[in-house]
Amino acid sequence: MKRNTPLITLLVGAALGVVLLVASMLATPSSAQPNYSAVAASSAAPASSAAPAESSEAPEPAESSAAASAPAAAPSPGPTRTTPTRADFTGRVGGGGGSVAVAVHGDKAIAYVCNGSTVEGWMRGKVEGDKLVLTGKNQTHLTASYHAGKVTGDVEAHGTDYSFSVPTVSKSSSKSSGLYQATAVVQGKTIKAGWIVLGDGTQVGSVEIGESGEKAVTAPKLDVATMTARIGNVVLHAVPVSGVTGSGF
Amino acid sequence: MTAPPTQPIPLPRKPAASTASLLIVPSLIGALVALALGIYGRVHSPTGIAINIAGFSSPGTVKSWLATGATVFAIVQVGSALVMYGKVPRVTAPEWIGGLHRWSGRIAFLLAVPVAIHCLYALGFQQYSTRVLIHSVVGCLFFGAFTVKMLILPKRGLPGWVLPVAGAVVFTLLVVIWLTSAYWFFSTFGIKA
Repeated sequence: MKRNTPLITLLVGAALGVVLLVASMLATPSSAQPNYSAVAASSAAPASSAAPAESSEAPEPAESSAAASAPAAAPSPGPTRTTPTRADFTGRVGGGGGSVAVAVHGDKAIAYVCNGSTVEGWMRGKVEGDKLVLTGKNQTHLTASYHAGKVTGDVEAHGTDYSFSVPTVSKSSSKSSGLYQATAVVQGKTIKAGWIVLGDGTQVGSVEIGESGEKAVTAPKLDVATMTARIGNVVLHAVPVSGVTGSGF
Repeated sequence: MTAPPTQPIPLPRKPAASTASLLIVPSLIGALVALALGIYGRVHSPTGIAINIAGFSSPGTVKSWLATGATVFAIVQVGSALVMYGKVPRVTAPEWIGGLHRWSGRIAFLLAVPVAIHCLYALGFQQYSTRVLIHSVVGCLFFGAFTVKMLILPKRGLPGWVLPVAGAVVFTLLVVIWLTSAYWFFSTFGIKA
């Protein structure tokens, strides 16, 4: 009997881990999980052959991430693919009333537009050739094309239209520039914060309150040294959303 | 998986060979555990959210206190192990010291599990700063090392140094985890519930 107790300890710990993991999955609002369609085809596939993927729902979040990151390592995209397979773009929208960030990872893309107040929105979508089409909640949508190191297009969130042309995040300008997100439960409500930090260190951020994403307020300042921000007593831990590293995809 | 060479009687082999054969399977399993955690943390999209424990202001504080609890019990582990091995002058091991060692270890491990699950599920394996990278790597290694320690505990015929070394590795990893998380958290945001 005694000889087996360490094994029992391990198994109890593993069982506890599995229970907590399942409970966490159940507690996570569906919006926090990637629910865009999984594309099994590699990033090198021409746009035409990748078309059927539109209909399939992601079977497993982990699987879809794995599928995206593995083939994305291939250095040479196919002839129709002009957009880099791993890239991040950030910049101010036209008129300077806000910022937009687009992260491209494989043939998936995540974007966030934010005016630092009530107009903001997260979007997910796909890259086909040089075209990016992303959609989010409340009719938030972005269409853009990639050309010569810049992503240029239009984005609409909360009824506000912006046009933009934003460059690749420069590694030399600022290590912390990029897109960040954090989610937390505050007083029973799910909140999702997003920040866009530009190369000159300026940042805009908003916090969506509730799962609908309809209501947003100005985010507390993101401390880029610690990757944290505070709402009252609650500490938000931000994670980067980056196409280069694949974080957040 | 091939079974390790069995030992009918714990004498006939050379000690070096039998030590290696006794350690290889637990070590491989431990390595797989560490690798699996790291890969899961890397490919799984961090949700930034997981179940929360009532009574604390944020997941960060919950995790910091759980990790601190685990570290305190780990210190009890080292103390009780020193007593068991007769390394504390003028202290003879009381009868209950084995029980104290086992239970403090179990509690420390079970306190660490929810923290790890939150890390892996909500935050993932990250590398955006040195602290975070060290924490991610060592966090995965800790559970691998702990698995190895648990698997070699019941084995007979191991040299005397194996368990103390395994225990020391597990303890060191846990302390590094604590320093790069709870200590950082408390020193950055202040000690609070």
